[in-house]
Amino acid sequence: MRSIRATPILGMSLLGILLFLAAPAAPAAAQGKPIRIGEINSYSGLATVYTFPYREGLLMAAKEINDAGGVLGRPIEFVFRDDKLKPDEAVKAARELVSQEKVDFLAGCISSGVGLAISAYAKDTKTLYFATHCQTSRLTWDDGHPYIAHTTNNVNQYVRAIAKKASTFPYKKWAHISPDYEYGHNVWDEFIGYLKELKPDVEVSQQNWPKLGETDHSAYITALLQSGADAFISSVWGAQEIAFVKQARPFGLLQKIPFFSASVGNPDELEPLAKEAPVGAITPGFAWYDEGMQKRHPALKEWVNKFQTQAKKPPTLGASWGYASAYIIAEAIKRAKSTDTDKVIAALDEGFDMQFPWGKVVMRGCDHQAIPPQWVGKVKMSAEGKAVLADVEEHHGEELIRSCAEIAKIHATVAEKK
Amino acid sequence: MDFITTLFPWITNGSLIMIQVMSGLSVGMFLFLVSVGMSLIFGVTRVVNLAHGSFYMVGAYMMVSLVEFLPERWWGFWLALLLAPIGVALLGGVVEVALLRRIYHRDPLMQLILTFGLILVVSTLVLLVWGPDNKSVERPEALAGSVTLFGQFFPSYYLLVLVLAPLVAVGMWMVFYRTRWGMLIRAATVDREMLGALGVNVAALYTQVFVFGSWLAGLGGALAAPTVAVALGMDSDVLVNAFVVVVVGGLGSFAGSFISAVLVGVLQSFGILIFPAISIVLLFAVMAVVLIVRPWGLLGRPEEH
Amino acid sequence: MARVALLAIGAALAAAPLALPPFFLQLLTEIAIAGLFATAFNLLMGYGGMVSFGHAAYFALGAYASALLVKKAGLPMLLALPAAPVLAALGALVFGVFIVRLTATYFAMLSLAFGQIVFTVIFKWKSLTGGDDGILGLWPPEWLKSPAAYYYFTVTVVALALLALRAIVDSPFGSALKAVRENPRRARYIGIDVRRHQLMAFVISGFFSGLAGGLFAFYNGSVFPDFAFFTKSFEPLVVTLLGGVGSFFGPLVGAFGFKLLEWLISREWPVYWPLVLGSVVIAVVILLPRGFVGLAGGRLWTRAARQG
Repeated sequence: MRSIRATPILGMSLLGILLFLAAPAAPAAAQGKPIRIGEINSYSGLATVYTFPYREGLLMAAKEINDAGGVLGRPIEFVFRDDKLKPDEAVKAARELVSQEKVDFLAGCISSGVGLAISAYAKDTKTLYFATHCQTSRLTWDDGHPYIAHTTNNVNQYVRAIAKKASTFPYKKWAHISPDYEYGHNVWDEFIGYLKELKPDVEVSQQNWPKLGETDHSAYITALLQSGADAFISSVWGAQEIAFVKQARPFGLLQKIPFFSASVGNPDELEPLAKEAPVGAITPGFAWYDEGMQKRHPALKEWVNKFQTQAKKPPTLGASWGYASAYIIAEAIKRAKSTDTDKVIAALDEGFDMQFPWGKVVMRGCDHQAIPPQWVGKVKMSAEGKAVLADVEEHHGEELIRSCAEIAKIHATVAEKK
Repeated sequence: MDFITTLFPWITNGSLIMIQVMSGLSVGMFLFLVSVGMSLIFGVTRVVNLAHGSFYMVGAYMMVSLVEFLPERWWGFWLALLLAPIGVALLGGVVEVALLRRIYHRDPLMQLILTFGLILVVSTLVLLVWGPDNKSVERPEALAGSVTLFGQFFPSYYLLVLVLAPLVAVGMWMVFYRTRWGMLIRAATVDREMLGALGVNVAALYTQVFVFGSWLAGLGGALAAPTVAVALGMDSDVLVNAFVVVVVGGLGSFAGSFISAVLVGVLQSFGILIFPAISIVLLFAVMAVVLIVRPWGLLGRPEEH
Repeated sequence: MARVALLAIGAALAAAPLALPPFFLQLLTEIAIAGLFATAFNLLMGYGGMVSFGHAAYFALGAYASALLVKKAGLPMLLALPAAPVLAALGALVFGVFIVRLTATYFAMLSLAFGQIVFTVIFKWKSLTGGDDGILGLWPPEWLKSPAAYYYFTVTVVALALLALRAIVDSPFGSALKAVRENPRRARYIGIDVRRHQLMAFVISGFFSGLAGGLFAFYNGSVFPDFAFFTKSFEPLVVTLLGGVGSFFGPLVGAFGFKLLEWLISREWPVYWPLVLGSVVIAVVILLPRGFVGLAGGRLWTRAARQG
């Protein structure tokens, strides 16, 4: 092989080093006035259907907070990075944000793997991390530690809400279809565990574990038809659930066996399904348009209008999480009267409640876990022919979530294993 | 005997087995439509078109837009089905002329890498043009329900695929073996230099083949749109499946793609029943087994690459 | 001339912690690891003429070998790290036996299939590997933990590895390998055992890929199954092609350029990063046949380029 010429390579290296030094000079100097939160999430590719509205909610809240005088007199500012849905990219972004951009706190995640990776980094570097969109209960429980706070609900809460609703029906034999990865197993375990607590005569008649991202579910659909189940639950989500519902339709599966879902009530699934939506499905969702919801929460309509003006689209559940997360972070800093990490952790340890246009969100001190209201409804076709969530019942996560005593036990068992 | 029936409770259920076979055949037919284009392009131009999945995705998205744009009459769907693949064919033509033509003389690896770069470009463009939201196309009224086969339900829409795909296959066979153009194609897969020496415009032939292959990918995407969600990420899902089918069948072998597509489709359908735990990797395991036993795929031709 | 350049670069790297803030040391660490992975990959591709689509498997095997030894067997990092290349080489040997019997696209696809099988095993064997929860909390010992310390450690290990790879490439084995790439039939006629050479190259490539994986595990602090997923296999391929397939340092240059570009673009315009990368790849293929290294060589070859 011919050897490369020295000068151009040297030149390139020097150029590279210069670029390194040049790029971050400005932000590092800007430390001082604003409170900066490094937010790491998936802002490219297929997760954007969730993260774009979420970010709109986050920024809307940040603007409101700043317009009202900021936090401790200082504006709050989010610095965004893309994790490309990869945990190692998230760690890299976290490092940059903390050591280079000198952010005060870290936030963000949609994929549970990413959340766990950032959490491990936060624990190691004693940086406070607010997990905002990912759902795994491991964040504050199995893998919990003082340097993490979960500002949105975890799988435990919202799945228990569905299970609670399920227990009110006389269905004894249950089947399920769940994607074969951590989230799918998490949902099924929580669902069947809580359902059995509430209704001990429940039995499992069939389990289906398609791979995450499966495109053809015909085999599972025919299996479900043969399962003899009284009802079934799906934790398949997003594009995969849309495909599942569409494929199930001609088989009549959803008419024959009552259908429960962990996510089909969300607009990212209901809207594309349109006329093919699974009418009668029992599922959670952020049904801000529901009359009952608006009666219970009079401030909701105005909030939605404001969101719609800013984002040019109606809000999603994720948008509400983004909005609430920004406020929770601000509140924790306010109560600590400081941006010092240990003081903010102490404020979180004490816990606090906040009121939002959709109800009360509790930040629980024993595990830094947020507990919002939970809504479960039924899919219906509105008068205008739109697929919507109706007959929405509301419970508070506080009634459902595992108690602090149970969490203490989990923490103790994990500590023992070490 | 008992433990077999407990392990596979459906094994005595003849009608269930038949339905699974039919399902598998439908999946296979979809796969065939997508992969035969890839196989054809490789056979003639020696380019492994990794962007094939991206063209499939564009076909599906175009289907969404066309169905939205066209009036909600019964013929709207069919017109969209006709037009969407043409749109993708045009895209393919642009790509071939602007990019691929410049690198045919280069290492095949370079061509592969270029098509890989295309995947990234196309997926971002789709996000920018159509936005991040999931989309969907409804099945046409006539095919929205199901028919009863072997005492079980079978979606009518899949009958469309089961009819259309073999028609396309037969049509392609007739083109390859009964037309002059088809003869040139076959000659090009054997010896393109000689073909050029005989005065045939090989460059134009390449463009035509690439356009045709893209049309097939677009047709696959448009046809699949009513059965899945039209969303980002469709490109990689289908690419992997198509690539496996093409390789298992043997690169450049038309018959190989057909057999392989059917095999893969049916195996997947049954694999889910027999080995649910390994459904993630079933496709790759099958490919590994085939390649170990037949290093050139089922019907591929050994050659110095 | 080249030697002076290398010494200058070496001096710059040694002095870097004095001039650069910690994040950039970490970026350089990542570049070094990516460069090692890509150079190992290029041993197979550039020198051996075999393209693998499943190389992430060996990277991941290395990462998980070290991770498991630390978490399950309680070994310290310095004892766990050497296991990384060893397990990866073992995997490369087992799979390689089947893979090297094939050529070109079939070679690539079988390697992809085995790569996905490795991914599936890691993903599903939850009790051992933690599945998609990954293995967390893998940090180097205190004295190696600071960005500067781990940087020196990684750069030293990578430099030694590159020296070894260079020696291999320049050895009779390397020449035989190149001969096999150029014309396998002729190589066979002059008595070279083609299969054996290809398999050895595969194993060596797997060995150093695993080493890169091990280094990465402790750099990142956690390992996840997606380290073995086929999209990770495309990284060394793109990096090597950007840098230049035909040169030994091509992959390293490519890693440097790629990571730098990725960092700069992704922080400002994350949605556009895949578009930029794709366009750069296409542009390099069409305009820079010898990759970035070709750019450094001075001339832009637009027409008939000899190799790749």
